[in-house]
Amino acid sequence: MSKTTSHRGDLSRRTLLAGTASLLASPMIVSSARAQAKPVNIGVIMPLSGANAQFGINSRNGIELVADEINAAGGIKALGGAKINLIVADATSTPTTAGTVAQRLITQNEVTAILGAFASSLTIAISEVTERRDIPLLTMSFADQITGRGFKNIFQIVAKASALGKAQLDYTLAIAQASGAKIDKIAIMYEDTAYGTAQAAGLRAAAKAANIDIAMDDAYPLGITDTTPLINKLRASGAQAVFPVSYLNDSLLLIRTMRQQRITIPAIGGAAGYVIPDFEKGLGEFAENVLSIAPANYDLAPDLTERFRKRFGYFMVHEALEHAVALDVLVQAIEKAKSAKAEDVTMALRGAKFTGGWTKAMTGGAVEFDSTGLNTLSVPVMAQWRNKELVTVWPKDVAKGTAVWKS
Amino acid sequence: MKRWIAILAVIAIAAVLPLLLSPTGYWIRVLTFTLLFAAMAQVWNIIGGLANQTSLGHAAFFGIGAYTSTILVLKFGISPWIGMFAGGILGGVAALIIAVPTMRLQGHYFALATLAFGEVMRVIANVWTSLTGGPVGLSVPFVPPSIAAYSFKQLLPHAYIALIALIIVTVIFEWIRRSAMGYRLRAIKENPAAAEVIGIDTTKVKLQTAVISGVLMAMLGTLYAQVAVFFDPDTVFSAASISIRVALIAILGGVGTAIGPILGALFIIPVEELMNDLFSSGAAGLSQLIFGVILIAVILWRPRGFITVFDSLMARFSNKARP
Repeated sequence: MSKTTSHRGDLSRRTLLAGTASLLASPMIVSSARAQAKPVNIGVIMPLSGANAQFGINSRNGIELVADEINAAGGIKALGGAKINLIVADATSTPTTAGTVAQRLITQNEVTAILGAFASSLTIAISEVTERRDIPLLTMSFADQITGRGFKNIFQIVAKASALGKAQLDYTLAIAQASGAKIDKIAIMYEDTAYGTAQAAGLRAAAKAANIDIAMDDAYPLGITDTTPLINKLRASGAQAVFPVSYLNDSLLLIRTMRQQRITIPAIGGAAGYVIPDFEKGLGEFAENVLSIAPANYDLAPDLTERFRKRFGYFMVHEALEHAVALDVLVQAIEKAKSAKAEDVTMALRGAKFTGGWTKAMTGGAVEFDSTGLNTLSVPVMAQWRNKELVTVWPKDVAKGTAVWKS
Repeated sequence: MKRWIAILAVIAIAAVLPLLLSPTGYWIRVLTFTLLFAAMAQVWNIIGGLANQTSLGHAAFFGIGAYTSTILVLKFGISPWIGMFAGGILGGVAALIIAVPTMRLQGHYFALATLAFGEVMRVIANVWTSLTGGPVGLSVPFVPPSIAAYSFKQLLPHAYIALIALIIVTVIFEWIRRSAMGYRLRAIKENPAAAEVIGIDTTKVKLQTAVISGVLMAMLGTLYAQVAVFFDPDTVFSAASISIRVALIAILGGVGTAIGPILGALFIIPVEELMNDLFSSGAAGLSQLIFGVILIAVILWRPRGFITVFDSLMARFSNKARP
């Protein structure tokens, strides 16, 4: 009886000692860990399921590539070599879910910043949350509304949809002119999403300014299954060039139907579905010489983008590239601010110019945000499918090849 | 007497729960949407459960409510509280317009007809850009926080508003179920021809439930818009994420019972969030897949809804209570 008691007492004393020791030691452990490297949490919200999943995966790949490279090179120097810890979440295809996910990353994971979310509607929903919580959001979504609402914590790494639409038309005219052709009648078809309508509006305005007749101007629902009526209308319109704006499946269907019906007029896509490897895979020879506007293209900085191809086995699509740039710029801002606090990082991003690293892959060779958060240096490029690769063909000063124009 | 104590206890727990969660946090947002979806499923339950008409078009009324109040505040600065009633009236009118031709349809035919209506509204909202902002969607303006303007900095008040809404629609549901109308509806559900014979105007009764359901659904649309802050036609007129989801919640919980939609929402919304939290950083689409598998398993386990679990628990409890 007494033995048991003493034994118990012994145990508790030992526990007490150990407990005290660990209690004494714990602040040291915590503080030394913090001094060494408390990882910087960065949220990545992408559509990883649903119609836009492929674009979300591409974007995530680009971000992971840069994060791994920075971590391998010793992390964030200004924070004592802190590692980047990506917290990836699925936005699905519902804006409300995207907003909820953003809320989760901010409160549960204490992220410094968020990158995302490819589709404009998702990005806008996330921005409503990040703006209220003062967390910087870096995006490559095109919609004009993104930096058009006077938000203080949003950064748009590429030109807006309206600028892309305008370039889509202006570049085409220039390319046609350079090869001795003249365009006075065009056709526009676009899906009725935020992205499609905004870009079509840019195209329309540019056509009006250039005095070009729009012979066809049709919206269609995303996920259209029969494009024959659209193509018949296109044939009847007598347009000399067609400007389709769509995501992947619709783009495949449109171009295939067109080419099968031997409509050979140049097609100038509106990025998204027209500039990913699946476009060529789905169309084969029909893809050859199809043009598309793009906010950026991998052949402008092969030394950087080949690293992506080596790791993932396909060329670095523009959304992967721009998200890579977004992370690079974010890390540069953290280095500059010497802090991973959201408000310090926002301060470092706002109105600042970033050079070097992945920013070299962008047109303009750097990234500079104006007071609305828009990267003013980004200029769209025109790319053309040539033998399973996308070649930048316009503007002339950055072009890697001459455009093929056959009408 | 005992029943009332139990109900009051549940309400008390529900009233305290939001206070335990961080007012700016993530779980309070999940809780708010859970309560909101429970209320939406309860409203669906009025027509789907009591009148036995499986509507797959409730997104139509929901979206009308969200758009009405948001357009009123954007264009005229009218408080969403008032906009909510304006939306409710429009939702009721819309419900009447579709109910008149579709109410004679039964079963699958009714479901399909209502499914189309949500889609029609989506197309209208997409095309009518001058009013709805088109595919780009609408953002609820952030005005200085006040109760009158239905604007809050934190989510806590939204959680309480959703809770109150859930209590109100549940009371309405129970009241209809126990009223003379409820008896008529039950008669129609059992045998429409027999109900006609005993003198029930079946069309009129069904129309009444459709309109009540439409009005309430539109009003909940306003609550949703105020919490989500941003929405587009695809969000609020969505067949998958609104129409089918509210039906699913009610069916999974137990159709035609007051407690069913609440149980359904308490399961579906948090589990879906949890799956996203746990698995979405892995393989793309994995979280949705796992959620789907869980859903299938649950439906196989309890084909007649969670209410059966609840009932058997209650039965066991009362058996034990007896000596």
